[in-house]
Amino acid sequence: MNKTTRKASAVLLAGMMAVSLAACGSGNSKSDSSAASGNNSSGSGGNVKIELAISKSSQDSAFVQQDLLDAFEKETGIKVNLQLLPAEQTATVLQTKLAVDETPDIIQYNLASATTDLNLERNFEILDNEPWVSRILNKDVLSAYGHVYSFHVSQDTGMQGVVYNKDIFEQLGLSIPKNYDEFLAVCEKIKEAGITPVFMPYKDNWAANVWPAAAFADYADKNDPTLFDDINSNKKKWSDVPEFQTILQQQYDIYKKGYTNADILSDSYDMAVGKFLNKEVAMMFMGDWLIQDVVTKDPNMHLGLFPIPYTDDAKLGASPLGGQLFIPKKAKHMEEAKKFLDYIASKDVAQKIVNEQKYVSNLNDVQTPELPEYKQEIVDNYITPKKTVLTTDAYMLVDRSELYRLLQDEFAGGQDPKGVLSAWDDKFQQLMKDKGIEGF
Amino acid sequence: MKISRKLYSYYLAWPALLIYSVFFVIPAIAGLYYSFTDWRLDRTAIKFIGWDNFERIFTDKTLLLAIKNTLIFAIATVIGKNLIGIALAVGLNMRLKTRNILRAIFYSPSILSILVISIVFTPMLRADGTINRILDAVGLHFLSQNWLTNPSVVIWTIALVSIWQQAGFQMAIYLAGLQSISKEYYEAATIDGAGAWRSFRSITLPLLLPALNINLMLTLIGGLKVFSEVFVLTGGGPGNSSQVVGTIILRSFGEGSWGLGTAVNTLLFAAVTVIAIPLLIFMRRKEVSE
Repeated sequence: MNKTTRKASAVLLAGMMAVSLAACGSGNSKSDSSAASGNNSSGSGGNVKIELAISKSSQDSAFVQQDLLDAFEKETGIKVNLQLLPAEQTATVLQTKLAVDETPDIIQYNLASATTDLNLERNFEILDNEPWVSRILNKDVLSAYGHVYSFHVSQDTGMQGVVYNKDIFEQLGLSIPKNYDEFLAVCEKIKEAGITPVFMPYKDNWAANVWPAAAFADYADKNDPTLFDDINSNKKKWSDVPEFQTILQQQYDIYKKGYTNADILSDSYDMAVGKFLNKEVAMMFMGDWLIQDVVTKDPNMHLGLFPIPYTDDAKLGASPLGGQLFIPKKAKHMEEAKKFLDYIASKDVAQKIVNEQKYVSNLNDVQTPELPEYKQEIVDNYITPKKTVLTTDAYMLVDRSELYRLLQDEFAGGQDPKGVLSAWDDKFQQLMKDKGIEGF
Repeated sequence: MKISRKLYSYYLAWPALLIYSVFFVIPAIAGLYYSFTDWRLDRTAIKFIGWDNFERIFTDKTLLLAIKNTLIFAIATVIGKNLIGIALAVGLNMRLKTRNILRAIFYSPSILSILVISIVFTPMLRADGTINRILDAVGLHFLSQNWLTNPSVVIWTIALVSIWQQAGFQMAIYLAGLQSISKEYYEAATIDGAGAWRSFRSITLPLLLPALNINLMLTLIGGLKVFSEVFVLTGGGPGNSSQVVGTIILRSFGEGSWGLGTAVNTLLFAAVTVIAIPLLIFMRRKEVSE
């Protein structure tokens, strides 16, 4: 061994010691956590711990509130541990967990996305024979491929449009804008009053999809009813529709004209409730679930929803029901997971959740409470007169995260609307081809 | 040498080799195989498809951007971490009263989780964040940036954060190297009238080469394999503007294109090998012995 080699080895060893010290640190914490979970699963009658995975953006969901989880633990001795997944990575993390059999026992997800992102049939347990199924009023919102795959106490699909603060509108003497020009005029007035007109939390790139998802769908509904079928069979492309470009340009112009928060790409969705509570912002392109979250925190807030005003008389976007609970086939504590669903479905617990959340009940022995003002308005003004339209989300057969990235890129200055749509065309073609859809 | 062979038989290496094969060699070979298949989330049968995945990689604009970003990150961090690392090591090799505490301070960021660092840096790097405010306050307003949301700046910002975190770790290795240089050389040089810079160039640097080699290798390979820094700070955004090869692999897996993901990974492995090994051989030739 010559001197150089020896010296090199000495230095390398020193380096490796440093590395291994760092590794020891993380190694310890790992073995700690595995020891902890080992303890929990070993006592079969004692404290079992089940894992519930949920996107961070859904952490206000009624199913994961601490008092509910505590009450469940008190009654059954089963502890529910929450895995909060980063909003943007929820699909990826879940796919990976499912692929490597590191499955959580329960997953909260959207049924429509679960069929495209998570391979519902292969990965999830069919719940047809669960005791609560016979009490379900609307099985469709929980089912796919003819089976019940998911659970929810509500049958109320989310509505998407512009969430707005009614008090601010009233104070400034504004009325709901009927088209894009009126909308810009409203923004200008709000800005003059020193309030941010529109909150765009586009660090979470999916939030940039609310405006186009409702507007595209409304356009197709009125002008080209077979458009999405044509797109899904490769007879038309996204960039073939010039109005889509206009719609994307409109959303961008709202930002460019200074009607939004300044740092839209740094602000995230979980800041939205706070922004509304502090009356820092007047509007946001979002779903009515946001209104519920705000009103829960402060019942004195008066928020409402109106359609995305990209043109005259647009309809309100309706998303497929989301936030269902699923049990993976490979759940390690299948029985306990099912017990959790039974518990939530039990009459008293479900009634409590439905009351608190003002849900339209999906269980035949649970009463729908008197609807809150904003929801009654949506029912009277949009749902009853049939002024709603299913958003593009309902027609998407493939993973949409690249579209979200492209929309975000438009605001970062990397793409113009045309670029967004043609880049999405390329990706869409590829994803549809990979999925084996006819025509691609 | 003879004694050491008797004391430690080669059989002792077997457990390590076994673990290494099971967790590294076999997955690497399996990965090579899967990169030539159409392995997907929604498909049960896996089909061999030749070079299709690789063709797709080189026609995908986002992927080419990711390769460019990876190279920028690797080069910037290799230079930054090593320059700062050497400077810190030489500085903290002097007889200072606060030497030990300073060493600990500069080393400490490297033991923090990158997740913690991102939580600290993300608000600081906002348009209205601490860093821009400091720049404004000292009259450097023109340097104010949307550090994490300006597509042309973002990859550099991430590199800077990484340099801030890891330079102290490089410093530790350089310090170890400096300890092994005998004081006599410096004394002799001083007697011969050499100044500080001359001593550094003619004694410190050549004798520090083993440490430099290791650091260059570690930082280069780490830079090419970058993932967590980008993932926690921007997730590859805004849009795709800070995607690196590591995050593209994740994205491919996220889209259910597992075959494509492994192909990108294979490519990364090949690139690291092709760049690192010749460099290693070249640097080893340059080493001198005392």
